Amino acid sequence: MVAATKAIGVDGPLFKRALLGSLSWLGANHEEVNRLNVFPVPDGDTGTNMLLTLQSAVEDVKESNAAEVSKIAKLASHGSLMGARGNSGVILSQIFRGFARAVEGKSSLTPAELAAAFEEAANAAYRAVNKPTEGTILTVAREAGRAAATAAGSADANVPRVIAAAAAGARAAVLKTPSQLQILRDAGVVDAGGFGLQLILEGMLKSVEESESAAAIFAETKEPVSPASQVSLTLPEGGWGYCTEFLIEGSNLDTELIRGQIEALGNSVLVVGEPELVKVHVHTDDPTSVINIAGGYGKLLKLNVGDMSTQHRRILEYEGAAGPAATRPNGVGIVAVVAGRGLVDIFRGLGIDAIIEGGQTMNPSTQDMLNAIESLPYHEVVLLPNNGNVIAAAKQVIGLTKKKVHVVETHSVPQGVSAAVAFRPERTGEENLRVMKAEAERVQTIEVTHAVRDTRSNGMKVKKGDVIGLINDRLEFAGADYAEVVKQALSKLGPDSYELVTVYRGEQASDAEMARLESEIRSQYPGLEVEVQQGGQQHYPFILSVE
Amino acid sequence: MSRSFAVVTDSTADLPDEWRDRYAIEVVPLKVLFGKETFRDRVDMTDEQFFARLAASSSLPTTSAPSPGEFADVYTRLAQDHDGCISIHIGEQLSATAEAARVGASSVDGFPVNVIDSQTVSMPIAFLCRIAAQTASLAEATEAVQRRVPRSRVLALLDTLRYVEMGGRLSRAQAMIGTMLDLKPLLLVADREIKSVDRVRTRSRAIPRMIEFFRTEMPVETLAVMHAQAPGDAEQIARELRRELPDMEIPVGQIGCVLGTHTGPKALGLVYLKK
Repeated sequence: MVAATKAIGVDGPLFKRALLGSLSWLGANHEEVNRLNVFPVPDGDTGTNMLLTLQSAVEDVKESNAAEVSKIAKLASHGSLMGARGNSGVILSQIFRGFARAVEGKSSLTPAELAAAFEEAANAAYRAVNKPTEGTILTVAREAGRAAATAAGSADANVPRVIAAAAAGARAAVLKTPSQLQILRDAGVVDAGGFGLQLILEGMLKSVEESESAAAIFAETKEPVSPASQVSLTLPEGGWGYCTEFLIEGSNLDTELIRGQIEALGNSVLVVGEPELVKVHVHTDDPTSVINIAGGYGKLLKLNVGDMSTQHRRILEYEGAAGPAATRPNGVGIVAVVAGRGLVDIFRGLGIDAIIEGGQTMNPSTQDMLNAIESLPYHEVVLLPNNGNVIAAAKQVIGLTKKKVHVVETHSVPQGVSAAVAFRPERTGEENLRVMKAEAERVQTIEVTHAVRDTRSNGMKVKKGDVIGLINDRLEFAGADYAEVVKQALSKLGPDSYELVTVYRGEQASDAEMARLESEIRSQYPGLEVEVQQGGQQHYPFILSVE
Repeated sequence: MSRSFAVVTDSTADLPDEWRDRYAIEVVPLKVLFGKETFRDRVDMTDEQFFARLAASSSLPTTSAPSPGEFADVYTRLAQDHDGCISIHIGEQLSATAEAARVGASSVDGFPVNVIDSQTVSMPIAFLCRIAAQTASLAEATEAVQRRVPRSRVLALLDTLRYVEMGGRLSRAQAMIGTMLDLKPLLLVADREIKSVDRVRTRSRAIPRMIEFFRTEMPVETLAVMHAQAPGDAEQIARELRRELPDMEIPVGQIGCVLGTHTGPKALGLVYLKK
């Protein structure tokens, strides 16, 4: 046994297995990560973003039979870069990048080399972030690397022990994050991105431990083994299929029984809930069979089937009568990330060439944005992320294409609208970037939504379901009523310095709520012009632009 | 009167009354139609009355050019004590007025009428009329005016695109405003075209943008600030420009009913002849 473990270095197949193990483990637990959302606003979930990023990292890896660890690491680095979503996803992609650089040219890693690669991965992530903050995934990556290095330095070091030390180091660092970051302490949670990284390392450990024991068992019995862990580590054949999610409403529902049947049809299976209501999540190539089986147990609610093989969000709009006649004098195209039917129309009306569906809760990947940019007949493109969580992934597009990409860092829909309004076809890309940025910064954003969890944030106690108001992404007000929260937010901004309020009405806001909000703003602030637009956005009943 | 030829224009020139009297310029009114009611521009209805009615009216009024017969009447009357006439009118891309003038002139025998398509609208036409009125002969006047026609500009800031769009003179696409958002278009009338210069979300941001663009158009020979029921904004713009151009007379003028039908209330304009 001792001789066997010493023989294991991290080669291509082992690293591939480790990555697939990470994916399974993160897939099974990403909802846990999502629940650690610090801000009680419905935004892009960290767990989902990291999972989708990791999935993209593994996309090409699973097709590869490369013997060298360097080749697998390179594929993972490239895949994660393309699939990066959200801030944590972007940092994760930088971790993979650092790892790949560290193992360049190597076919197999010794325990010491593995530890060094973990450390270099963390360093690369630090370098990629403008203002590194302690108590985040960065800290967790660094501590994991340090623990791995310590383990690699001991006399009986081996690969599983180095990975185990990294995972343990990550876990310890995650637990410490609330002491490093006030916002985590207030919210009573650990850092979500850090926890995601911990899960990734734990998943690696599980797969390595299993491959080790499996190898040993194969040698003795040549019989297949069932995974020891509760989590299915089955590797997907063919495509990644469809992310299928729904609720089953019924009576005496048996989660174990349902899980057993659904596990046969896919992976990343999650079946949780109560006897009356069960949530099912599975990645499957055969969503119809899953739905048929589940339908036998009760009524299906909130059914959602998403194609994961493509991973590419639809490009909603490309009005490219691509001939030269359709192109602009400055040769600059413009692309925006937008969600909500009305908002899509508004952006389209402002002359956006391609719209990538996404935003608040669905953060598009770097690849989604890259595809949209590549689809345009322009060599220079301005990109509007329109959400704070999308900016990092958007900036990664620069350098992935031969086209010149300008990212205007718009954090919200109102900022995006202001920037888009300022786009002029006769200006150069640089001039547009400068003017659009200045215009975006001029507008104030108020977002109104419901708290998705109890929390303390910005000195306020917020209960799940409360109406909350954010000014420029910062939670400022909580209350029971849309109009009250909006009025508070407007008075905080000081309406005397502004002249126009544009209300983008979300899907959830009723006619009565809209009418009330409008009349309250008009009567309270007679000096302000009020314009109502149907935004159709989800989760945010009202988004207001104040300028 | 020392001048032997007459100067004629139409009501879209937004000719100040004072200039009309001092330079003896004849103004032929266009017409505004609210449903079945017809008003002669600035004759049957003051600008104030018009904009009050525009704001209250659920449907937009329409406008129409003077008839050839109305022009013929004017020319016939002027022929009694003039030996010819220069007749300067709203751009033919915007109105059939110049064509009506030409047809009207052809029916008046023995009285030469030089009809000029100004390619523009509003006070640049008034500037051209004043220049014509200060020359000694019809030939000289015609040459002086025609030379300046390609240099006339109207830089218009509309408070809304609604009126110009409904009037059919400009599409949202042409104004680069395809959206449902109520943007404020900054338009330039030049070279027989209406071009979009910019689109801005709020008035307070739009006004500096208009002045900024105007600076790139300098130097200019003449300049006026126009407004449709927004005298405060217009005066403020004029004050700012007078500081920059201390030697230039910069009058503030009102946009009349016909043009106002297309610009809508609160429109502002800088009108000028480029040097």
